[in-house]
Formats: sequence, structure tokens, C-alpha cells
Amino acid sequence: MISNLAVLPIVIPMIAGILLAFFHKKIPLVRSLAKILTTTNTLVVLFIWLYVKENGAVILETGGWEAPYGIILVADLLSITLVLTTNIIGIAAVFYAPASLSKKQEEFYFYTFFFLLITGVSGAFITGDLFNLFVFFEVLLMASYALIVLGGGKVQLRESIKYVLINLFSSMLFVTAVAFLYSVVGTVNMAHIAERVQGVEQKGILTTIGILLFFVFGTKAALFPLYYWLPKPYTVPNPVVSALFGALLTKVGIYSILRVFTLIFIHDTDFTHTFFLWIAGLTLIFGVIGALSTNNIKLIVAYNIIPAVGFMLIGIAIFNETSLSGTVYYLIHDMIIKAALFLLVGAVVYLTGTTDLRKMKGLIHHYPLLGWLFFLSSFVLAGIPPFSGFIGKLQLLKGAFEEGEILIVIVGLLASLLILLSMIRIFIQAFWGEKDETVTVNKAAARRFTLPVVFLLFFSVFLGVGAELIFPSVEQIADYLMNPEIYIQSVLKE
Amino acid sequence: MLFAVFFPLLLACLIPFLSRYKHKVHTGFFVLLAPLSIFLYFVSFIGHDFEPVMKSYPWIPSLDITLNFHLDGLSLLFVLLISGIGALVTFYSIYYLHKSERLGHFYVYLLLFMAAMFGVVLSDNVFVLYTFWELTSISSFLLIGYWNHRERSRYGALKSMLITVFGGLSLLGAFLLLTVITKTTSIHEMIQQADLILSSDYLPLIMTFIFLGAFTKSAQFPFHIWLPDAMEAPTPVSAYLHSATMVKAGIFLIARFSPIFSTNEWFFIIVSGIGIITLCWGSYMAVRQTDLKGILAFSTISQLGMIMAMLGFGTEAAIFGAVFHILNHATFKGSLFMIAGIVDHETGTRDIRKLGGLMTLMPISATLAFFGTFSMAGVPLPFLNGFYSKEVFFESTLELNNTSLAFAEILRTAIPYLAVFGSIFTFVYSMYLVFGTFRGEKHLDQLPKKPHEAPIGMLIAPSILILGVIIIGLFPNLVNESFLAHTASAILGEAYHPHEIKFWHGFITPLKMSLVVVGVGTVLFIFRKKWSGVYQAIPGRLSMNKVYDTIVNGTKTVSARITNSYMNGSLRRYMALILAAIIVVSLGTMYLTDGFTIELHPDTLADIKLPEILVAATMAIAAITTIFTRNRIAAILILGVVGYGLSILFVIYRAPDLALTQLVVETITVGLFLLCFYHLPNLRPRTESIGFKSVNLIISIGFGLLMTLIAISAHSSKWYSTIADYFIHTSHDLGGGDNVVNVILVDMRGLDTLFEITVLGIAALGIYGLIKLRAKKGAE
Amino acid sequence: MEIIMSILAGILFTTGIYNLLQKQLLRIIIGTGLISHGAHLFILTMGKLKTGLPPILEHGDTNPDHYTDPLPQALILTSIVISFGVTSLLLVLAYRASKENETDNMDLLRGNEND
Repeated sequence: MISNLAVLPIVIPMIAGILLAFFHKKIPLVRSLAKILTTTNTLVVLFIWLYVKENGAVILETGGWEAPYGIILVADLLSITLVLTTNIIGIAAVFYAPASLSKKQEEFYFYTFFFLLITGVSGAFITGDLFNLFVFFEVLLMASYALIVLGGGKVQLRESIKYVLINLFSSMLFVTAVAFLYSVVGTVNMAHIAERVQGVEQKGILTTIGILLFFVFGTKAALFPLYYWLPKPYTVPNPVVSALFGALLTKVGIYSILRVFTLIFIHDTDFTHTFFLWIAGLTLIFGVIGALSTNNIKLIVAYNIIPAVGFMLIGIAIFNETSLSGTVYYLIHDMIIKAALFLLVGAVVYLTGTTDLRKMKGLIHHYPLLGWLFFLSSFVLAGIPPFSGFIGKLQLLKGAFEEGEILIVIVGLLASLLILLSMIRIFIQAFWGEKDETVTVNKAAARRFTLPVVFLLFFSVFLGVGAELIFPSVEQIADYLMNPEIYIQSVLKE
Repeated sequence: MLFAVFFPLLLACLIPFLSRYKHKVHTGFFVLLAPLSIFLYFVSFIGHDFEPVMKSYPWIPSLDITLNFHLDGLSLLFVLLISGIGALVTFYSIYYLHKSERLGHFYVYLLLFMAAMFGVVLSDNVFVLYTFWELTSISSFLLIGYWNHRERSRYGALKSMLITVFGGLSLLGAFLLLTVITKTTSIHEMIQQADLILSSDYLPLIMTFIFLGAFTKSAQFPFHIWLPDAMEAPTPVSAYLHSATMVKAGIFLIARFSPIFSTNEWFFIIVSGIGIITLCWGSYMAVRQTDLKGILAFSTISQLGMIMAMLGFGTEAAIFGAVFHILNHATFKGSLFMIAGIVDHETGTRDIRKLGGLMTLMPISATLAFFGTFSMAGVPLPFLNGFYSKEVFFESTLELNNTSLAFAEILRTAIPYLAVFGSIFTFVYSMYLVFGTFRGEKHLDQLPKKPHEAPIGMLIAPSILILGVIIIGLFPNLVNESFLAHTASAILGEAYHPHEIKFWHGFITPLKMSLVVVGVGTVLFIFRKKWSGVYQAIPGRLSMNKVYDTIVNGTKTVSARITNSYMNGSLRRYMALILAAIIVVSLGTMYLTDGFTIELHPDTLADIKLPEILVAATMAIAAITTIFTRNRIAAILILGVVGYGLSILFVIYRAPDLALTQLVVETITVGLFLLCFYHLPNLRPRTESIGFKSVNLIISIGFGLLMTLIAISAHSSKWYSTIADYFIHTSHDLGGGDNVVNVILVDMRGLDTLFEITVLGIAALGIYGLIKLRAKKGAE
Repeated sequence: MEIIMSILAGILFTTGIYNLLQKQLLRIIIGTGLISHGAHLFILTMGKLKTGLPPILEHGDTNPDHYTDPLPQALILTSIVISFGVTSLLLVLAYRASKENETDNMDLLRGNEND
């Protein structure tokens, strides 16, 4: 019965989403229900996390169909850790939402879409079936489409169209690539694919399909040269939606790359992973260039998603235990800090009424806590110790040095500096400076915004200062990823 | 020792509460507690029989990051400096900062800095050291930006942060490499493996990284530019961070790692070379400044260069000189900063052109200043500590180690001359500083305030420091054996046997050098106006500041230009770039990995039959027609034709369920299309340029080709039997149905179906929202 | 026949992408429609096109060689339904977006930095 645990993180939010759709007009009720349900789900996931940490992966053969024939759900430590992080962000989002959304937006199923987004993301992390991964991608994308257009006017609709079209295209490419892979290996179960791929002699076509899948996931993850669609559309919806997108969607992409290229396509790492290293470097460079290019504070944060993904790809490209532990740690860190930053910037925009940095000054005199939180998150983002970003970066770069990849380390270090510059520029320009006496100060609104941010930043600090409590698990995950046969055996029960 | 680092941090947490009572008790008095108690604790370590102490506390053992605090001679010197000067500066600040200032903020930053600095000098673990290193940069940023309503403060804060964090990150690079090479994160264990490090291929990189870290922090040429701008901080901060402690962190770093690198010739060339250049440049530029703190800033740069140069020499005498001067510099420079602060406080300006003749009005300050500057200038008087360390410096420039590289040889010969050159200007700016402020004509009318002597409280701290200047001057051997010798040993990596320091050695070369300095310096000082034109030529319009400004502003303009060149909001552009990347890389991969295979064996392929061909041809033609049609209804219907064609293919290839679904879905879709686009403008004739068309054509054909090639190869590489066989076997018995596709959908892959329905549900709600919920016109 | 079907699917992709790269919203959406047809055809082709009965078991015959591959069919079915959902949403979105912005020309829907 214990194996049924694996399905709970998917089913609970789904039921929650459907349930809330029925009460959508009763906003106070929906709000409290949403808070209770996310918290409950998080606790359930926490329990599963603890269980998996002790006893190893929980594997569920849905419908009782044995692997590799039915759809297999694999809640291993990597998946469940990411699901846990997702739910932590979910809590922050649900508590932030009432302050940020309009009544109408809440009424028009925001919470339903939110829970289904969580369903899709959790499903994507947990599933052990490539086609099922596609289905969960569609769930989360469809929820994201619904969220991005929610209550939108001109600009929002305009950017949403671009977002939907590019994601639609990459989804089509995804199913096609799955079909190609099915043709070659005759299966869609990931463990089974992995096992069969190892037994193939002529692997050129597999590498090609692998690269195609890399592009599919890379588009979602916003890697160079596929990220163009990301920055602008991420700035148009409500901050709470941006935060969910920034924290979760690209990470599902990078997770998929991590999973697929440590499990399945590891037969020609000289070729594929060297290619990734170049992509990682270019992603870092173009990402920070983008972050430095604008005065729109939402856009600065949105661009900062890109170099972070570049950092994570370094670990996959380097492909040793140290670097993979770095990728996983960075992944967790980045989910949290991106959510916090979007929420923070959303608050700033709400309070000042503009996204233009040049029109802001001296905010710290009106909103000191907000200012210091922003200051703190700048350093968290740039990977300055003792915060969460540092641990991940440390392992990533150490891993790169172990393989003698000097150049990428230098690029990574410089990128950190420029990320810090892009953030501290906001701090100096918007928060420092003379007190602007002309503005109306809305302390009450600021307070409502800060609590969820404090909640998230607590984890950022904790993941840095208290790394000892988390890192051993991440190291365990890295070791597990380096030995795909453990995954294969536990799924196929050989 | 944990206490030393964390007491200031703990206190910092309490300050926001304590500062509420600032109108009764100045917050500074609480703060004083930390440095004073720490100073008293560590002073007890001084003695002949001092032995290094090591204390470990676990932090992140799984990453080999442990709070290992290592108190050896080197850290002891720094800890005493930080706490001692810290206590004096805090005391001074009580009188300097008025209670109406945001004292809470100020002291939190100051305590944060203090803790960070203790961490830097005590940590044996490189990553812990790095953590505290960055924390010093951050607290310095906050302190420089303390008066952040001023534009200059913000500029200075950003500049110092960028340059020092740049150095910090490069230091991180060095630490990572060292860790990977030596498999340890402890500095003293690294020192034991010095040979391994010195023989590593990465040695040049490690040294570059470390040097960048040290030089940026210690404001060495050409990274010195942040220090003058850091003078925007309140004066106690300048005295503390930007003269006595933080800027010496770079010196500390070089000293800490010199047991590893000092045998390498490039260590000598770079550290001494940069040090001596900094010495000359700093002192030369100091003469040109008009702001009192500006002069002191450049003076600090120059003095740091001198210490750095001595560390580079690496000889016993030089190392001792460096250690000795670290101590001496802290005493006289600290007091001079405080006096500059007093002058500023009492007259309202720091512009030396407006000052003058303050001797009679502020006699005590003036006396202190005279002691301080003369010591700094190295005037040969037996009660000035600055003279002794300068002598040791001159002496060490004459006794450099032999070198093998020709380049190093040139440097070796040039160093004594450069040392004298730099010291001459040191003399000139010292005289300029003290005489310009306290002697000469009074310009009382130009001063914002009517000057008078500072309150006694403000004078106490500089007096104590000047007392130090005199005591060390009178008894230079006082702290030699019991204290500084331990420091020198730690840097040398071997026991250092102290020599007695004497005022009179006989008429030897170092003394001659000193006399030249004083003689030429006096002449230059008197005729300063005559030769000041030389600054028009050097540096003239050249300046590192310009380079910095260009880079920082450049990051903005250049990145905006790059980004705007492709991020133009055009969906077509984005799609085209994405597609082009996919085509090029995937085709390249296929080519490189020899991925294309085609198998035309009739046994494995379905027969080519006429009906299929006809359907296929119709679909192809219909698809192509969509490009050319101008009528929107026609275009939609043609799309429908392709869809229906597909369902016919499904029928032919024995997929009845699919055919049915496709038929229904296609019909609904076409209906929806018509509904949505009925009210929209008709398709316009496509008036694009040939270039636009051909790019589209190349990309679309390329992509279609790519997919076809992969499909053919994938189909030709069926190496395994499909899992679907199992479905056919078990559908009836286990699935309870004969329609295998249905059994798969509802049972074996029921999860897919469940979520496929979820997708439809979300779509329905989303559409409902889109239609019903509209933003008010012009709401955005 | 598989080769021909692959080429046909390739043509669907080609024309789909050509339309996708146009400026007018309707053409772009038609493009996505063509691409999804192409994708489904690819999936079908990746199963066995060669002969066989529809995968509906007859008389307890469970020899896989007698039937066409049922799995791609199941996958296509899922995919068709999902595409349908996405396309519907996209259509309504396109309609609303062009109404709000008063144009259906994507070239005029670029936007600028601070909106």
C-alpha cells in the first residue's frame, strides 16, 4: 500500500483544484480552503520525502500494470525533493495571492488553475514514463495558459499569444520525438528505454533523437538559443503567476534534461555533454547580458531566470557526482529565490505603480523591510555565501574544475558578478536615495506582501546556513543519478 | 574564538532594540563592549611563548566546510588591530555621529563588518574565509552608502562593491582550484602540500586568482580607484575599514598564502612589482588631491603598496618590515583620519584650499596631526615609528633575493630607486596635508562653520594612537620578540629570529636614502605650485576611473544594444531563431554521429497502394495551398481537408477509433475557427520581401526535411519488439476488453486519459475566463 | 509506404512552419494545426503500417503479428484530444487578443520595454 504514496502529490492538488472550482464565487471560503489544502499537501509531501529518504524510492505501477507496460510513477529522492520545493512555493503563492489578485481574477478560477499547475508540475517530476511526462507537461502548460491570460488586457493577451504558440510548437515536437524514440526502442517507460538504449550498437539515431528532446526541454527551460519567448511574457501576468512560472516552469524543463540525460542518453557523453557545456556557457552570457539591458525591474528578474538555468546545465554537462549535486542544489535554491524575487518585485511595482527603475527612488525610507529583503535576495541570487545559491555554485564549479573545465568556471564567476550588478542596481536606484515625500505610502499593503517573501527567504537562508541538513540528501541524489542502473533495477524489478 | 566572531554578530542583532534608547545613551557605548572585550581577551596571548591555537566547530562537514579558527602570529596581529582600532573608532564615533543620525543602522553595519573581519583573519577553512571576505565587502558597501541620499555615496558604494566582489569571486576561483588539487579545504593543510600546488599545471591561474582577490581588496594599482570614492563614508568608517583593517585584508591574504607561493619567482615579480607601482602612483596622486580624506585615501593606497612590495620581496627583513609597518600604519593613519574628521566636523569642510592656519584655533588637533604626518613621512626622528619601518623598507629593497629571470632582474635593480621616488612624494603630501591645514593663511570667511577645538571625547582616540606612534618610536623593540616575531614566522613559514631595531645604524645606505627623501621632498613641497603642471601630462586625461565608468556604463549600453538587436518582440524572429538552431544542430548531430539509416526492404515496409497515395497527395496539395490562399474561410476549410485526409489514413491503417475521433475533433475545430475568425479581417495578400520569403522557405523546408530524415532513420532502426505486444496478449484476460486501444486508454495508460481530460477541463475554464472576464479598457 | 508517409508528414511540418512564420494570426494558427497533423501522422508511421487487423481482438487471437500496433494509436488519441483543447484556447485567445489590440498582425504586436 505504501507505493500508493507516489500518487498522492498528484492527486491531492488535482482534487483540490476541482473542488475549488465549485465554490469559485465564495472568495473567502476558497481562500481559506486553498491555504489549508496547500499546507496539507505540503505536509503529506514532507512525509513522503522523509519516507523516501529513509527507505528509497517509492514506485507505483498505476492500474496494477507491471513495469514497463503500465505507467509507472517513481517518487525517488530527486522527484520528491523537487515536489516538496514546489509545494513550499505553492504555500507562499497562496498566501500572497489575495493581496495581489483582483477579486475577479480570484473568482475566475485562479485557485483551480493554481492547483492544477501544481498537479502538472508534480506529475512531471514523479512520472517514470516519457509519454506520461508529455501529458503532465500539457497539464501544467494548459494551467499556465489559463493563468497567464487571466483577466488580461491588451499587453497581457498579446504576450500570452507568443507564449502559447511557442510552447505549443515545442509540445508537438515533444510527442513527435517520443514517437521516434518509441520506434527505435519499442517502449515509452523511461527505465526500460534506458535499459534498451544501453544495448544498442548503432547509436547515431538515438543521439539525434536525444538532441531533439534536448531542444524540446531546452525550450521549456529557456536555454540559449531558445529562450527568446521567456522574458517578456513572464512580466505581464500578476506577480503571483509570474512567481509560479519563474519558479516552476523552466525548472521542469531543466529537470527533464537532468533526468533524461543522466538516465537515458548517456551513451555518447563526449558529444552530447560537451555540446551542453557550450550551451550552458552561452546561456549564462546572454542571460546576464539581458538582465543588464533593461530598466524594467520585472524584466530584470525575468532575464535572471536564464543564467540560473545556465548554471544548472553546467552540472549536467560536466556530469560528475560533484557537479550533479551542484545542479540539484542549485535547482532547489533557484526555485525558491526566483519565486521570492518575483513576489518582491511584484510588491514594488504594486506600491510604486511603475516598472520603470528610473522612476523610483528612496523606497527604503518608506518600506524598510521590503528593501532589506530585496537586498538579501540579491545576494542569495548571486550565490554569495552563506546563502543557498553559494552551495550549489560551489559544487558546480568544483565539479567543473575536477574535469579541468576552466573556461566555464571563469564564465560562471563573471556571470555571478554581473547578476549581482543587475540586482544591486535596482537596490541602489529604487531603494536608496532621497526620501520621496510626494508618494502615497501604503504600509498595510506592503505588510501583506512581505510575509510570503519572508517565508521563502527563510528557506534560502536555511539552505545556506543549514546546508548540512540538506546537502547529504542532495549528495545521495547525485550519487543515484550517476548510477542509473539503480533506477532501472528498482523500476523494472530485475 | 567563536565568541570573537559571533559576539559582534549577536550584538548587531540587539542594536536595533538598543538604538531606541539612543537619546538617553548613545548607541555607540553598547557597541564599544564588543571590540574592547575582544581586544582585552586577545592581548593576553602576546608573549614569548605564544603558540598557535586551533579551534574547530562543525558547520557543513559534508562539504568540508568547518569553522576552523586558527590563531597564529599573523591572525593575532590582525585580531588586535581590528579590535583595538575598532574600540577607538567606536569611541570616536560616539562624538562624531550625532544622535539624530540613524545610529542603529550605522552600528549594525559596523558590527557586521567587525565580525566579518575577525572571521577573515581567523578562518583556516578557505570557504569560511571566503564567506567572511564577501561579508566585509557587503558591510563596506552599506557603510559607504550610509548617507545614501548623496549621489556620490551611491556611486562610491557600488564601485567598491563591484571591485571587491569581483576580487572575491576570483578568490573563490582560487580556493576551488586549491581545494580540487589538494583535496583539503584547510589553509594550513594546503601549506603542507605546497609542493603539490607549485607543480600543478594550474599554478599560474591560482596565483592570478589570488592576486586579483588581494589586489582589489587592498586597493592596489589599477584597482585602487574604489578607495578614494569610498571616502564618502562617515569618517570613523574611513579610519577603520578603509585604512586600518579591511583594505589590509588583501595584505593578510598574500601573507597567509606566502608560505606556499613565495618561492615562485612570479610571486616576487607580481606582488613586488604591483606593490611598488602602487606605492609610487598613490603617493604621486595624493599630492594632487584637494580633499583631506582624498589625500589620506591615496596615501593609504601608497602605504598598502609599500607593505605589499615588502611581502613580495619575501626576505626575512622585508617580511618583518611589512609586519612592523602594518602596525605602524594603523597607528598614524588611523589618527590622521580621525583628525581629518575633526577638522571636517569643526569647520564644515575638508577642502584643503579653504583650510589653513588652524594651528592657533585647534592646537591639540594640530599637534597630533604633526606627529602623525611626520611619522608617515618617515622623518628621521627617534620618537616616530614611521621612520623605523621606512628604514627597514629601504634596507630590504637593497637586499633582494637573487633571481634567474631577466625581467625580475630589471625589477630588482629598479626597486630601490622607485622606493625612494615613492617616499619623496609621501613626504611631500604629508607636509602638504599638515601645513596646508594648520599653517599658512586663515580663510575663515570661506568656512561653513566657525572653527574651534574639538570636544575632548573626540580627541581621546587619536591621542591614544599618537601615543602609540611615540611609544613604538621610543621603544621599537618593545613588541618585537613577544608579538611581531610570531607574525613574521607565520608568514615566512619558519621561525623568525628578531633583530634589534636601532635608531642609529651608522651612516649607511638606508639612512642616506631617507635623507634624500627629506631633502628632495622639502624642495618639492616648497615649490609645489611650480611643478604641479606635471599632472596635466601625467595622468592627464587618462584615468582608471574612466575605464571603470566606461565598463560599468558600457555593460548597460552594450548589453541593451545586444539584447534589443534580437529581442524585438517579434514572434516570427523568435521562432525563426529557435528553428534554425534546432535544424542546424540536429542535422549536424545526425551527420556527425552517422545517425541516418534507411532500410528499403519490402518485407518490413507496407506496400505502396494507390488509395493511400491519392489521399497523401491531396493532403500535401491542400497543405501547400494554405500558404497561398487569401480567403480566410477557404484557408480554414483547406486545413479541414488535411484533417479529414488524416482520418482517412487512420481508416486505411486500421485505426478506427482514431479515425472517428479525428473526424469529430476536426469538425469542431473548423467550426471554432470559423466562429473566431468570422469577425476578423480577411487574409491580406502577402506582400513580404523576397528575403523574408526565402528565409521562411529555407527554415520550413529545413525543418520538414529534418523531421522526415529522423522519422525514416527511426523507422529503419527498429531494434526491439514493442511493449505493445504485451497489451495484445493481456488485453482480454487482464484488461477485460477486446478493443486493445480502448483497454490501453482506460486501463493500462488510464493516467494519461485522466489528465488528458483534466487538460480539456482547464481549457474550458480558461476559455470561459477569457470570454467573461475582461480588463477594463485602458486599465493597464 | 512508411517513407512516403514520413515525407508527407514532413511536408505537413514544412507548410505548418511556413505558416507559423507569417505575420497574420490566422495563418499562424493554421500553421500549428498543420504541425499537429504532421506530428500525429509521424506517430502513426512509427508504429507498424504493414497490414494487420485493427487492434480489436477477434476469437481470442492474441498473436501480435496479426494486428497493427495499438500503442501509437492510444498515444495519438491522447494527443489529438490535448491538441484540441490547446487549439480551442488558442483560438479564443487569438480572437480576444486581436480585438483588444485592434490588429491581427503579429508584427504590430511586438510591444516595448516598459509595458
